[in-house]
Amino acid sequence: MKTYQFVLSGLGGQGILFMTKILAQTALNRGYNILGAETHGMAQRGGSVVSHLKIGDAGASLIRAGAGDFLISMDEAEAYRYLPWVKPGGVIFANAKARAFPDARVAPYLSEQGITSFAMEAGKTAFDLGAPRSTNLAMVAFFSAFGQGPLDASALRETVRSMSPDPVKEINLKIFDTCHEQGKKLC
Amino acid sequence: MKQAFLLGNGAMALGLLEAGCQMLTSYPGTPSSEILPETVRFAKQAELNTVIEWSVNEKVAFDNAFAAAISGKRAACCMKMVGLNVAADSFFSAAYIGNIGGLVVISCDDPGPHSSQTEQDSRFMARMAKVPVLDPSSPEEARNMIQTAFEISEEFQVPVLVRPAIRICHARQNISYGDLKNNDTTASFKREPTRWASTPKFRFLQHKALNEKHIKIAEKFAFLRPYNQHDIQPGQTHPLGIVAGGVPSAVVADLLAEFGRTDIPVLKLGAPYPFPASLADPFMDACDRVLVIEETDTVIEYLLGDRRKTFGRLSGHVPMEGELVPEKILVVINRALSDCGLAPLTNDNTARDAFELSASLDLPVRRPTLCPGCPHRASFYAIRKAVPKAIYPSDIGCYTLGSNLGGVDTVLDMGAGITLASGFWHAFQQDGVDKPVIATMGDSTFFHSGTTGLINAVYNDARFVLVILDNGITAMTGMQPAITQGIRVDGRKGNAIALETIVKGCGVEYLKVVDPYEVTHTIDEIRAAHEWTLSPDGGIAVIIARHPCVIGLRDQALTETFEVTVTEECDDCGLCHLRFECPAMKRDPEKKKTRIDPVLCSGCGVCLHICPKDAVQCLS
Repeated sequence: MKTYQFVLSGLGGQGILFMTKILAQTALNRGYNILGAETHGMAQRGGSVVSHLKIGDAGASLIRAGAGDFLISMDEAEAYRYLPWVKPGGVIFANAKARAFPDARVAPYLSEQGITSFAMEAGKTAFDLGAPRSTNLAMVAFFSAFGQGPLDASALRETVRSMSPDPVKEINLKIFDTCHEQGKKLC
Repeated sequence: MKQAFLLGNGAMALGLLEAGCQMLTSYPGTPSSEILPETVRFAKQAELNTVIEWSVNEKVAFDNAFAAAISGKRAACCMKMVGLNVAADSFFSAAYIGNIGGLVVISCDDPGPHSSQTEQDSRFMARMAKVPVLDPSSPEEARNMIQTAFEISEEFQVPVLVRPAIRICHARQNISYGDLKNNDTTASFKREPTRWASTPKFRFLQHKALNEKHIKIAEKFAFLRPYNQHDIQPGQTHPLGIVAGGVPSAVVADLLAEFGRTDIPVLKLGAPYPFPASLADPFMDACDRVLVIEETDTVIEYLLGDRRKTFGRLSGHVPMEGELVPEKILVVINRALSDCGLAPLTNDNTARDAFELSASLDLPVRRPTLCPGCPHRASFYAIRKAVPKAIYPSDIGCYTLGSNLGGVDTVLDMGAGITLASGFWHAFQQDGVDKPVIATMGDSTFFHSGTTGLINAVYNDARFVLVILDNGITAMTGMQPAITQGIRVDGRKGNAIALETIVKGCGVEYLKVVDPYEVTHTIDEIRAAHEWTLSPDGGIAVIIARHPCVIGLRDQALTETFEVTVTEECDDCGLCHLRFECPAMKRDPEKKKTRIDPVLCSGCGVCLHICPKDAVQCLS
C-alpha cells in the first residue's frame, strides 16, 4: 500500500494528540503500520502545534515539507502556516468559514499546485452542540465525509465511539454525525 | 508477540522490561519524561516488582542505578541530555570503575531545540566519558537497542549510553513486544576497594583497562548489524556515499527509496562509538566523497578522520545548528550530489515557494504562554508590582514563561535562579549598590538544584528575595508528582518533605507563605520581604507562593470560581492581554475592548485585581 501522510495542525489545548490517536487507532484496526511525530513540552503551552502521522510503511516520523497528502487544521491561520507540507495534488481540510477559505493570497498557489481545500466551521458547530472543546472530533468527522485516504467514515466513527469515555460518548457521536453530514454536502 | 501503539518513550519502556531491568531511575525532562511512567505502567501490567523511582535530580538517579548495577542487577537511568550534564561527574567516573549487572543510561537529545537550553549532542558526552553509545533511528530500533545495550554493558562491564533524539522519544509507532520480566538476580556486593573506591593509582589502571575494552567493543560494533552496516560490495566504487546515524539515517533511507536512488551507498552508524573503523574504512575507500548526516553535532565526522573527502558540517554542507528535518536533509543531499556532478534527488521546489508564501501572510506569532488561571502568572504580576526595578533571575520550568510578563531576566540552568541572584547581589554590592534582586524558582527545581545555591548565598551573606513557585507538581514535563506531596511514581506513599523545612534548614530566617491568587496580599509580602533584605540585620528572604497547578491539580486549584466580564470602563489599554497575558482575555477589534473567551477562562478571578480601570467585574 502507498504510505499516506497526514499533517494535523492547531493550537495548544485543542486536543491534537487525541485527534492523532483517532486516526492512528483506526489505521491500526485496519492492520496498517503507523509512524507519527508529536509536539510535547514547552511548545505545547498555547502555541502552534503540529502532529505528523504516516499510515503505511515508513522509516522516519517527520513528514518532509512538500510531501503531505492531507493537512487537517483546527485553526485557519495554522492551516496557512503548515501549507508548505502539502504536496502538489494534496488536500486541505480547515476549521474556517467555507466562503472565506482559502484566503485570496493563497488561492492562486493552491490551484497552481492542484491542491484542493475544504472548510467548515467545525469549532463553531462543536460549540453550538455544547462541546466547545471538541473541534478535534469535528474535524475528523468533516474529513471522513470525503472518502479520502485509507480510512473510511464508519471505521473512524467506531474509533470515536470506542475511545470516548462514557459521559461524552453520546455528544461525541452527535458531533461526528453532524460534521460528517456537513462535509457530505460539499462532496 | 503483543502489539501496542506507543511513543518511542513507551517503546523504550518495553525494551527495559523485556531486558529484565530491575531498577529504573530518572528525573523528568523533555523529551525523556514518559519513559519512566510508561515503565511503571507496563511493570504493573506484568506484575513485576521493578524498582522505579523519580529521583531528585539526574546525578542522584545515576548513582542509585549505578549502585544496583555494581550489586549485580540490571539497572538503567534516563534523563534529557542537559540532565546528563548534571550526572556527568558520576557518569565519567563510572566508566572507569565499570559495573557488574548491565547499566544503561538513556539520554534524550533535543535538536531544534524544542524544549531545552542547548542542542548538545549526548554522543559527545559519551565520547568524552569513554562510554559506548547507541543511537536509534526509530522507536522500534530504540526498543531493540536497549537489549543490546544491556548485553554489551554486561559483557564489557562498562555503562552504555543510548541516545534517542526527540523524534524517537515523541514519535509514535505500533510496536510488537515479547515477555516482560524482572531478572531474578539477587543483590550481592563484594568488597573490593581497589575497584569501587579506587585511588588515583588504581584509576590509571582502570583507565587503561577501559581503553582496552574499547578496542574489543569497536571490533564488535563493526559487525553489529542492523545498527551498523553498509551495502557496498568489494571492488565497487562510487562518486558519493552517505554516512548517517540515528534519526537522520531513517530520513536518508526514506529519501533514497522515494526517489529510487540505489546508486548512492549508505553507511549506517547506529553504534558510532567506539568507532567501528574496520567497517567504515572499506566504505570510505570505495567512495570518492562521503556526506555525513548526523544529529546534532560532528561526532561521526570527527571520528571518520579523512576530512578532505568528507562533506558535512565542517565543510559547510550541513547546517551547524537546528534540527535536521527531512526538507533540510533533501537540500543537503542535493548539494552534495551537485558537487559530485550527480543528478539531484528532485528539482521540485514547491515547498520552498510555499514557505515564502506562508511567511508573507503575517500569521499570528504564537509564543508559548502560561495557561489561563496559572498561579505563576499571578506571582509574576505581584513581583513586578512589588519591586518593579529589580533584576529577576529565574529558572527552568513552566515559569520560564514568566518572561512574557517581564518577570524573568535570566535562565541559565537548573538552580541558577538562586546562584545568579547571589552573584548579581555581590557584583553590585562591590560597587556599593544595593541592587534589588527577586529570584524565582519552582518547587521541583528547588529540590533538584536549589538548596546548594541557597546555602551558599546564606553563608556568604547575599541579599535577595527568593520566591519559590510551589504548584505542588512538576508541571512542564507532564505532571510528575512533587516531593512535597509524598506520593511516589507508582502511587505508593513516600515521605513528604515540606519546602519550609528545607528553606529553614538552609539557614534562612525570613520565610513567608502566600497564595498568589490573593494578589494584593502577595504584593505586600514581597515588598516587605524586599525591605527586610536591605535592613542591617536582614538576610535572604524566602516567600513560598503556594497554589496548586490549574491543569494537574485542577480540583484543588479552583475551589472557588468567578464568572468575569469586561465592562464599558475598559479603555483598550491592553494590559490584561499584552502584559498580564491571560490567554482567555482577547482584544475585540470591533468594540475596541477586551473580551473574555469563556472556553479558555478558568474562572480563577485573578484578573479582578489587575485592571487599572477596574473594568473586569465578577458576574457571579
